Amino acid sequence: MILSKSSHLPNPAPLDVPASPPARRQRRKLPRNASLLVGIVLTTIFLAVALVSFFYLPSNPNIPVIRNRLLPAGTAGHWLGTDVLGRDIVAQLMVGARTSILVGAGGATLSLILGLIAGLAAASSGKIADEAISRGADILLSIPGMVTALVLAATMGSGALTTILALTAFFTPSFTRVVRSAAIGVLNEDFITAARLYGRGKIFVLIRHVLPNIAGVMIVQFTLYFAAGILTEAGLSYLGVGVHRPSISWGLMLNEAQQQVGISSPLAIWPGLAIVLMVLGLNLLGDGLRDVLDPKLARRAS
Amino acid sequence: MTMAANDPSLVPPLLEMRQVTQTYALNRQSLLGARPQLTVLDNIHFDVRPGEAVGLVGESGSGKTTLTRILTGMEKPREGHVFYDGRDVWAGGAEHWRQFRRSVQVVMQNPRSSLDPRMRIGSSLLEPLRSLKIDGDHAARVFEVLDQVGLTRQALERYPHEFSGGQLQRIAIARALMPGPKVLIADEPVSALDVSIQAQVLNLLKDLVNNLGLSLVFIAHDLSVVAYTTSRVSVMSAGRIVEVGKPMDLFVRPQAEATQNLVGAILTVESGLAGNALG
Amino acid sequence: MSQENAIEVRNLVVHNTALTAVRGLDFTLPAGARMGLVGESGSGKTLTALALMGLLPMGWQANGSVRHDGVDLITQSDRALSNRRGRTISMVFQDPLSSLDPVRRIGQQVSSVIRRHTQAGKKEAERRTVDLFRQMSLPRPEQLMRAYPHEISGGQRQRIMIAMALACYPQLIIADEPTTALDVTVQKQVLRLLNTAVQERGSALIMITHDLPIIAAMCDTVAVMYAGKIVEMGPVAEVFRHPRHHYTKGLLDSQPTMDNIALDGSSRLASIPGMVPPLHSLPAGCAFHPRCAAATEQCITQVPTLDDGPRRAACWHPIGATVPMEVA
Repeated sequence: MILSKSSHLPNPAPLDVPASPPARRQRRKLPRNASLLVGIVLTTIFLAVALVSFFYLPSNPNIPVIRNRLLPAGTAGHWLGTDVLGRDIVAQLMVGARTSILVGAGGATLSLILGLIAGLAAASSGKIADEAISRGADILLSIPGMVTALVLAATMGSGALTTILALTAFFTPSFTRVVRSAAIGVLNEDFITAARLYGRGKIFVLIRHVLPNIAGVMIVQFTLYFAAGILTEAGLSYLGVGVHRPSISWGLMLNEAQQQVGISSPLAIWPGLAIVLMVLGLNLLGDGLRDVLDPKLARRAS
Repeated sequence: MTMAANDPSLVPPLLEMRQVTQTYALNRQSLLGARPQLTVLDNIHFDVRPGEAVGLVGESGSGKTTLTRILTGMEKPREGHVFYDGRDVWAGGAEHWRQFRRSVQVVMQNPRSSLDPRMRIGSSLLEPLRSLKIDGDHAARVFEVLDQVGLTRQALERYPHEFSGGQLQRIAIARALMPGPKVLIADEPVSALDVSIQAQVLNLLKDLVNNLGLSLVFIAHDLSVVAYTTSRVSVMSAGRIVEVGKPMDLFVRPQAEATQNLVGAILTVESGLAGNALG
Repeated sequence: MSQENAIEVRNLVVHNTALTAVRGLDFTLPAGARMGLVGESGSGKTLTALALMGLLPMGWQANGSVRHDGVDLITQSDRALSNRRGRTISMVFQDPLSSLDPVRRIGQQVSSVIRRHTQAGKKEAERRTVDLFRQMSLPRPEQLMRAYPHEISGGQRQRIMIAMALACYPQLIIADEPTTALDVTVQKQVLRLLNTAVQERGSALIMITHDLPIIAAMCDTVAVMYAGKIVEMGPVAEVFRHPRHHYTKGLLDSQPTMDNIALDGSSRLASIPGMVPPLHSLPAGCAFHPRCAAATEQCITQVPTLDDGPRRAACWHPIGATVPMEVA
């Protein structure tokens, strides 16, 4: 049997054989990406805890119950013990999770939105706009985040909102830079030229073609800024310029626990551990996502 | 092979550049002096007739890229005019501009870069119809064009990274054909492809010209590739067109120095084996 | 220069956890000889070159034996290999812009290669570098020393890559598509240069490219790779004038070169239908059979191997054979 091929037919069947493994194979790699898995698990746990805290708390985290003060971990009803005023640690951690997530996510989200607008504008609006936005970002970046936070706290009063604003002021210029350089890379590609040739306007091109192609980078940055936001919020609350009772923050718990070091050291461990685990989870999530999202576009061994 | 072969001088050109000059301003050398001008194109005449396949060859830096950008309307020339179907595209009004946009399409050099990696092939193919606001049965048109370039319908659901370079170039050609253009401008369409795939794509372009009556402008830096697909070739050097002629004539009797250089640069298997190819 | 072979490759296999890209390569290159390696994307040619240099990317592994300069390169540690790279065996890559360090001056990059492998001091190495630039016909060599890669043209960058590769008079140079990224006119100049330089030093050359005329012009023997294996091998003139494997013939016929173009413009390039199979799902039997007009049942079921003789082809029905091939 001779298999005959005619070279003037436009090659039907063999043409739809893909040159690289189909998308299906990509997803099977996920379970093997340990960072991603651990990151997802940790982050989900904390998100779940914060969510649950709106519906159920083991006991009131703010009302002092002096007779229960400094109960050790493992006590019935108070699995991690109580603090110097008899308030349950677990309940405080749960409510603290709300604050961390709210402030961290709030700061990261606002920065993302502002950074997107500024970065895309810088990448696509010509040299003068680019210079103006980039130098503006540089100036903002040169001011340390903590200083901004302290100044804002002093003028506007401390609290979650002030912290979110401080975080936004600090992260937006960074985000702007990341978005700008990623967008410039995409704007140099031929498919952007093609879209312009078909009459698409600049805004359409930015939203429909540039955004999806920089989404991976942005998601990764978001998780990292989220993590940094949590750390910053904890630091500010620890210093006394973050949230105050009846709001609870892990940093605030650290501040209160500081006075008990030597008397009841575990009090400092729980909020500290919570911070470490949440930040670790987010960082692993970010790293894992970066690995998963990038290889799809960078291929070809030969 | 071309309608124009019967009567080249009587059929008016479909797409034409007349007396086009383009300059760019360089950075200032001194604070108060004027910015020096770099002349990238100098009094260019270039045209293509209906159903004709023409080539444009030149080294990098000869101005080919700028010429292409002006020919496709992506850049406005400082001097001179671009005519489509007899009317100036920059002065002919919005309706004529729309018609120009639909009728002149481009296939670019790097197939991987010319398709959005985040869009399925089907969406990429529908893009031109949507943005040029072309009515009609879009799905039917997609199927029709897929047949013309020799792709199966399964391709529509896939993403660019699942295809090889040669297949992607076919897809890029398909996308260019979607609005039913009269002129296809191919900017180094095979330079980035493997040699055996080059043949497939070149054959495809040749077939499209013959079967659909398309005009083709083939831009390259390799004379042999252009010689295969076109019937008239313009040679560019330093912003000017220095010679025009039939490919074989240019190959056998090059007049301009740039043409001689291009011909001299051609390597063939036989000349290699003969031992005198590298000189 | 020693009389032993520049390189002897036996059963080279290059693989990662997912697939095998090079599936058993065998060839010997005598000292000072020139071999062309023809391959398109997906043939495994670049991985072959990287395997010979010990520069495989992460995740890829080489098995088999690669004898060079008296040792088997596969068994050598990275330290031992780096003593050889640039000195006895060197490589010229396709894209000089990404192969040169963009933040170091050119002169420094080249002279550091000389200093790494010879006793030369700073001044001496710089002097030799300027000399090399002159040999490469680079204009104003002294000024070039202080330039950065992005300040010069592609052709000049490639000549500098070649200078770096040749600086220490290696026994073997591997050039992987050295001129593909260059303009046609520059291509010829660079090839001419490489040709002369290799000849003057008596180095052996492996020229990897899918552009057949280059191999015709520069090499003595040629090996054609397809889907990770050598499918035809022999002296250049004979293989190109009388190819025995159908893939080789297809490649020769599909080159858009002046050899194949009829004077009246009516010619049609004979293209090879279909495309190179992905390495993760190769066809059974002969990897080329789905695209071959002469394929039979045997080609689907049995994998052909290279036959013996000065011109070797791995094919059950090689062109020009009048007697059916025996199962090897």
